[in-house]
Amino acid sequence: MNDGGVRHDGSGAAGPEPTGDGATRREFLKVLGVAGAGAAATACGPPDAGDKLISYLIPPEDIIPGTNVTYATVLTGAGPEPLGVHATVRDGRVIKLEGNPDSPNVGRLSALAHSALQDLYDPDRVPGPRRRTEAGLVEASWDEAIAATAAAVAAGRTVLLTPPVVGSAARFYQEWAEAVGARWVAWEPLGLEAQRTAQRIAFDRDEIPTYALERADRVVCFGADFLGTWLGPVELAGRFVSGRFVDHGVQAKYTFVGPRLSLSGLKADEWLPARTGSETLVALATAREVARRKADGRAARVEATLAPFTPEAVEEASGITAERIRDLAREIAGARSPLALPPGIAGQGVGATDAHLAVALLNYVSGAHGDTVRFDGATIRGRHVPYAAMAGLVRRMGAGEVETLIVAGSNPAYSMPASSGFAEALAAVPNVISLNPHLDETATAAGWVLPSHHELEAWGDALVRPGYMAIAQPVMQPVFDTRQREDVLLQMAAAAGSDAFDVEDYRSYFESVWRELHGRMYGAGPSFEEWWHENLSRGGGAVGPGFPSDPAPSLTAAAANYRFAAPGGEGDDLTLVTYPTVQFYDGRGANRPWMQEFPDAVTKAVWNAWVEIHPDTAEPLGVETGDLVEVRTEAGSVTAPAYVYRGIRVDTVAVPLGQGHTAYGRTAEGRGVNALHLLDGSADERSGALAFSGAAVTLTATGRSGKLVVMQGHDYDEDREISEIIHFDDAMAAVREHHVDLTALVEAAYDSDPQSPYRWGMTIDLNACTGCGACVTACYAENNLPVVGEDLCDQGREMSWMQIMRYFEEAEEGFQTVHFPTLCQQCGDAPCEPVCPVYAAYHTAEGLNGQIYNRCVGTRYCANNCPYKVRRFNWFTYERPYPLNLQLNPDVTVRSKGVMEKCTFCVQRINRAKLDAKAEGRLVADGEIQTACMQSCPTQAIVFGNLKDPASRVSRIAKGSRGYRMLDELNTRPAVTYLKSVTHAALPAGGHGPGDAHGATESEPAEHGAAAEHE
Amino acid sequence: MATAEIDVPREGLPTLADANRDISRPISTPYGRYWILLGICGALIAAAGVAWTIQIRDGMGVAGINNPVNWGVYIVTFVFWVGIAHSGTLISAVLYLVRSGWRTTINRTAEAMTIFAVMTAGLFPLIHLGRVWYFYYLVPYPSTRLLWPNFRSPLVWDMFAIGTYFTISLVFWYLGLIPDLAVLRDRFTGIKKRLYGAFSLGWQGTVRDWSHYRRLYLYLAGIATPLVLSVHSVVSWDFAMGIVPGWHSTIFAPYFVAGAIFSGIAMVITITIPLRWAFGLEKYVTTYHFDNMAKLLLLTSLIVGYAYGMEYFLAWFSADPIEQESFRWRATGFYAGPFWIMVFCNVVVPMSLWFKRTRNSLKALFVISVLVNIGMWYERFVIIVTSLAHEYDPSAWQVYTPSLTELTIMVGSFAWFFFWFLLFAKTLPTISIAEVKEHLAHEHEHGNGH
Repeated sequence: MNDGGVRHDGSGAAGPEPTGDGATRREFLKVLGVAGAGAAATACGPPDAGDKLISYLIPPEDIIPGTNVTYATVLTGAGPEPLGVHATVRDGRVIKLEGNPDSPNVGRLSALAHSALQDLYDPDRVPGPRRRTEAGLVEASWDEAIAATAAAVAAGRTVLLTPPVVGSAARFYQEWAEAVGARWVAWEPLGLEAQRTAQRIAFDRDEIPTYALERADRVVCFGADFLGTWLGPVELAGRFVSGRFVDHGVQAKYTFVGPRLSLSGLKADEWLPARTGSETLVALATAREVARRKADGRAARVEATLAPFTPEAVEEASGITAERIRDLAREIAGARSPLALPPGIAGQGVGATDAHLAVALLNYVSGAHGDTVRFDGATIRGRHVPYAAMAGLVRRMGAGEVETLIVAGSNPAYSMPASSGFAEALAAVPNVISLNPHLDETATAAGWVLPSHHELEAWGDALVRPGYMAIAQPVMQPVFDTRQREDVLLQMAAAAGSDAFDVEDYRSYFESVWRELHGRMYGAGPSFEEWWHENLSRGGGAVGPGFPSDPAPSLTAAAANYRFAAPGGEGDDLTLVTYPTVQFYDGRGANRPWMQEFPDAVTKAVWNAWVEIHPDTAEPLGVETGDLVEVRTEAGSVTAPAYVYRGIRVDTVAVPLGQGHTAYGRTAEGRGVNALHLLDGSADERSGALAFSGAAVTLTATGRSGKLVVMQGHDYDEDREISEIIHFDDAMAAVREHHVDLTALVEAAYDSDPQSPYRWGMTIDLNACTGCGACVTACYAENNLPVVGEDLCDQGREMSWMQIMRYFEEAEEGFQTVHFPTLCQQCGDAPCEPVCPVYAAYHTAEGLNGQIYNRCVGTRYCANNCPYKVRRFNWFTYERPYPLNLQLNPDVTVRSKGVMEKCTFCVQRINRAKLDAKAEGRLVADGEIQTACMQSCPTQAIVFGNLKDPASRVSRIAKGSRGYRMLDELNTRPAVTYLKSVTHAALPAGGHGPGDAHGATESEPAEHGAAAEHE
Repeated sequence: MATAEIDVPREGLPTLADANRDISRPISTPYGRYWILLGICGALIAAAGVAWTIQIRDGMGVAGINNPVNWGVYIVTFVFWVGIAHSGTLISAVLYLVRSGWRTTINRTAEAMTIFAVMTAGLFPLIHLGRVWYFYYLVPYPSTRLLWPNFRSPLVWDMFAIGTYFTISLVFWYLGLIPDLAVLRDRFTGIKKRLYGAFSLGWQGTVRDWSHYRRLYLYLAGIATPLVLSVHSVVSWDFAMGIVPGWHSTIFAPYFVAGAIFSGIAMVITITIPLRWAFGLEKYVTTYHFDNMAKLLLLTSLIVGYAYGMEYFLAWFSADPIEQESFRWRATGFYAGPFWIMVFCNVVVPMSLWFKRTRNSLKALFVISVLVNIGMWYERFVIIVTSLAHEYDPSAWQVYTPSLTELTIMVGSFAWFFFWFLLFAKTLPTISIAEVKEHLAHEHEHGNGH
């Protein structure tokens, strides 16, 4: 079955995706079949996904009932980076996404990417073309819609607004705009314009460099949320953790500089809480000290520029002592491969370009430039206009200079700050045409709504990096009566009288682009068809020899002599930081139930937006977590529940982006607040990038208490052998002195039937876990977990089988964070099993704690007796509005009210692999089974396998020196071994728990003096 | 026993005929307020029935329970009623075996209370089931799937313990009723006569009848006695067998048994005082009986108070920080209120029973017994809920507040209990006529003293 690009299996991508080497005729036909299906999909409209039985008169070639078919494609709208995916399709509908192992995300995915399925099956998508009349939106036919919109386009003064694109689409939009006499504007709310501008100034390269975190031995991050939302978090997280291979004696020390600890900041060994906007100064002072120590050619070039920025000079403005800056500089200068990461969105203030430039100079003098910061193989980003240019567009729209605005995949009415006046200007545009799939804030103002395909239903491509192209193909029939966005534009152009395009549809257009490219690259070589179909089946592939480029372009004179603003004094204002989150990103995740119920990686809050404030700021106001506070800037104000957070400066207030939608769908609307209302639209002078931070705010307690549902009862593990963290030196000593304890292995072997060759087990490396939550969402998708809503979450009735607890651990200075994924520990001696009166919870021969839904009567004793609290009870029968139910995995029972459930170790995948193995007369091989969480994990923190096989990866890792089991003293003999997190921060020798002074968010910080130390 | 000091006045002792008449009078005389009480109980039961129906239709989510606190008011009330059910057997069987004569006027009420309390308690394991329509999975029946219940589960032990207790209590109670049913048979005519006649199993009051009767009664008392200890021990294992800090304790069995007797006696007092007044049975149930019950209440209160202290001692002595934190939080955390209500009602208030004046004041006794009932309900709440809300994994800590559905069903359970009790009081003698007559005959013959 595993023959080519289309793969039939049950376990997702259990092994490497078969390559197209030596493509067979069968594979070729299969791919053609896919292509044909896609073409049919674009040509005919009526949705028939899921609601028709499969015709066996002429069986469709790719559909084998009960068997998964995997298609490779790429998601470009699932966060900051394009992510290659394998879409698992069952009976004609996609049920699961996995990372494409061939693409740069090497088989890993993010939470937001998993939730693309809920975007595809969103019941709030516009089901077909609509025209706005006085009576509201009315249905229209595609012909009407094309004719009417084409007439508007033909009238001229048209602007096409899209997100930034790369690949054929970029060329297409340009050609389309020329053909109809329109203007194409690409815009990205969380754009990289400041970083790009800085690279242009510094190295004359309009590119984002590659950050080789895996090689770095000293990392300092000036604010970028590289593990969560910045640049390419799935790829970067993988690289970052590759540099933390503590068992081999390597772990880069990592310092975070910035006013607020983001998801990325929580992973740092050291936090320099620089005042908002002063990252530039810290970077310059550090660069100056590094240059002084290095005293090489590079240092000499920038010496004069950096001279004024002594650590003492920036001390007051940044709030970071000169001593700490010197220490940092000493370590960077002494490192083999240091690396400084620039500010991200949260750190993007009015001096954003300067900040990026300062970090570039630091990398330049430290030697990172060309080593860990490389300009070969850089990430390709679509061009887009900066925020300042959008402000210009708003002016023109307001002045009546724009007759027709076509919005295709962009939602500026939401993602432009209210102060920009976009919404008002939009009202002044006579013809607004939305090609967005949703009735979002922009589409709501449109006269014509021509809904486009979801990217899983559409053709497309993306040049992910030089030398690697990704192809997007439809993986299923469209769910609604929608069309490919580019096809609509093509039809519009044709109806408007343009004959610039001689192609039938966009698919043939972009294929012709690649045909041309192929000709240029290979000339005579493999035929285009062969090359194309191989790449199509693999979701992309290498293109040509790549674009050779200098990894370390030389520093320009302009940068070497750049005049940075002199350090200022200390301000005493509260300043604002707004930041994107893993789950909502720029707001696109807000209508997906999985994302609303996704506990925020930092606060663990769900279904809302919040205001993060330091305990010392909260106390004088009498504010506790959940109390409503008003945040006011000159541009506006929002009122939201407070979240009292240790990881933020006293003078900083942080509000997440992405909530507060007024349109977009039932899940998003009216939920939380839109932090963009707080921004006055001031932009960085050099790049025109919107300032997301730095505004002065006043904070007022309203005296009312709001509702903020935080999915973590207590922030500290109270030294209970739950979240363990050790110092790097102790970890190294343990590695040296470690002796494998065989008794544990023998014990594990008896936790399953002695006749069974398997005892399934798992290891979770807390040192690798970044808390990004990809595993959590993967589990929702794989195991049909219901979303219960805010109120039930508040009552402790969430259904997530896997949760990531965020435990704080006291360090000598400040605190450390351990992200602690909890799931069923599949105990060898499970407390849940003997208490079940009806054997619904029972021990399988392979050591799993089985849960038989049909047998469960719902006494809930098992959940009471589970010390890990990982069992979930179905308090109600949860509904999934059509078509969200089409996503359900047919291999997993959908549970109804009254039964208990929990993590099964993806038993459906285990069984599928066992069946396959049995059919071939062998045992399941190591690595053949990946649980859904393991498969998604960007850092490979999770490893699953057979504990009875001493050579298996999981057995070997479990035996390592850092391994321990949660609450081991209970002797439940869990199958999950956690590996202790390792830090370079000094940890207190004795007990480490919270003191009242730290302002634990729990209203009742527990006494911990009595707690014994179990190390 | 020191009953010799108790002065039971010989003057004005009712005659045997008086006893027949007085005790069976409520059965023939309908009271207006009886129907009102019955109606209120019926309405509350109906409300609880509606609440349960909604719960079955929508799911357990209409109750307030959540993930760490999977058991709430239902199990609390279940244990409460099982506890109430204890005094019946204790008074009937144990006091019978130790020949405590003062039991005669209260044993019928106590036994009836036992039956109805078990009937009430037995509803809660059903009410709290997520899928009550599959309750029969817990019953060992020969299913085609060859599946038996899991005999390792304390819930299964529980089912057997309570089932056994109910059966024995019912038989014991019925046996004691037989001579009285014969009295009623002889007092009535028509359909009533036929019914009482059928249930009196042809009792003639011959020496042969009495000799068989007394022997069987003794044997059954012997069989029932260990059940006093076993039932609540087994119920306590529902918790003690669990791994939850605050549950996992070896003292639970005696602790629960003492608590059960404590609450059971309190409920007997709570019921007997108004019953005695309503049915005009002052001549039969005297302060002598209440004094003895109050002493038993005091004794069990001391045992329960000792158990509370011992739990804290063991938590400290265990040197287990998790156990210690659990008990620290119990007294000072979110549920400090219920905890101190429990201590006040169960340990502080009963101390007033050291004074004879309190023991002999029916008003004081009534108030104390009601407070003890409240305190014992809270005791179960404290044990079950606070332990679950604050156990091993701190990130999972979460509190629970009962929902309206749960409270409606709890109130309905009281209505259900009193509904049965009212029916009993209207159809059967609330005091054992046979035993009272035996006692009176003894008094008339030999005068005061035993």
